[in-house]
Amino acid sequence: MTNSEIDNGSTRDDLVQRVALMETMIAEGRSTTTRFGWVFVMWGLVYFAAVGWVLFLPLAIWAWPVCVSAAIATSIIVGARRKRMHGGSENVRSRSIEAVWRMMGSAICLYVVGAILSHHAGDPAYVAAILFFIGLAHGTSALILRWGVQGVVAAIWWTGGIATFFFTSERESYGIFLGASFFGMILFGLYAMMLERRRAAGPLQSQVQRHA
Amino acid sequence: MPELPELDPVIHGKLRLAVLSLLIGIEEADFTWLRQKTGSTDGNLGAQMLKLEEAGYVAMEKRFAGRKPQTLYRMTPVGREALATYVAALKQLLGAAL
Repeated sequence: MTNSEIDNGSTRDDLVQRVALMETMIAEGRSTTTRFGWVFVMWGLVYFAAVGWVLFLPLAIWAWPVCVSAAIATSIIVGARRKRMHGGSENVRSRSIEAVWRMMGSAICLYVVGAILSHHAGDPAYVAAILFFIGLAHGTSALILRWGVQGVVAAIWWTGGIATFFFTSERESYGIFLGASFFGMILFGLYAMMLERRRAAGPLQSQVQRHA
Repeated sequence: MPELPELDPVIHGKLRLAVLSLLIGIEEADFTWLRQKTGSTDGNLGAQMLKLEEAGYVAMEKRFAGRKPQTLYRMTPVGREALATYVAALKQLLGAAL
């Protein structure tokens, strides 16, 4: 096999490098690069903070509104800052994932407000529904991303949802919720962050220069 | 023996080819994201994007995200067709070289 010129001064090696560059960039463009692991960790910690406030601090009625509002504000501010620094891209998959989580968040907010106003916030079914909402979002996201780990996380939330029907005291419900939050938010978020970090340190940096 | 095809010089540049390959799998991307993915500089990427825009291969849109200006790029149908033609030519050339 020779490496002679075959087009406009390009050698076979040049062209093979072009093919490799295209393959790498197409795969990179399609893969998600949004760093979302920290969001799960933060929300998991927020759930712990809110439940801790409800159980051990005064003015418990303000625990969830204050903690959730602070988390939403942090998500928006940090998300916007990251986007400004690292830029962003959009495809159908990324928009689908964003839509699932946004709608889940909106649905939970409306549900919680409705339950509090109608004094149903203490019912076992109230906590169960929240666990199922979060599990639904994880499950849908897992299907879109074809990510088995997130599918397991969905199962954790749903198992928690079922368990709340059998362990109906307030402390038991909160215990189940916090357990699901720990495994399904904090640990999952840390795992996602580890994957993101490994990916960022991977061989994809400066592919164009490498192929040059 | 059939004549060998010519490669589109606008696409053949490494950075321009990298950008088009990135854009083909997505709907749109902003300048910062493209710069980070390709590891290029602002000046170089800006110049190459201008060439792609002039060739009609990408469309540029300026928007504001909050108060920050954002430059978004998307591949045009002409760009998709040109890249497909480029890939076909590349296959033919590589086939001829084997």
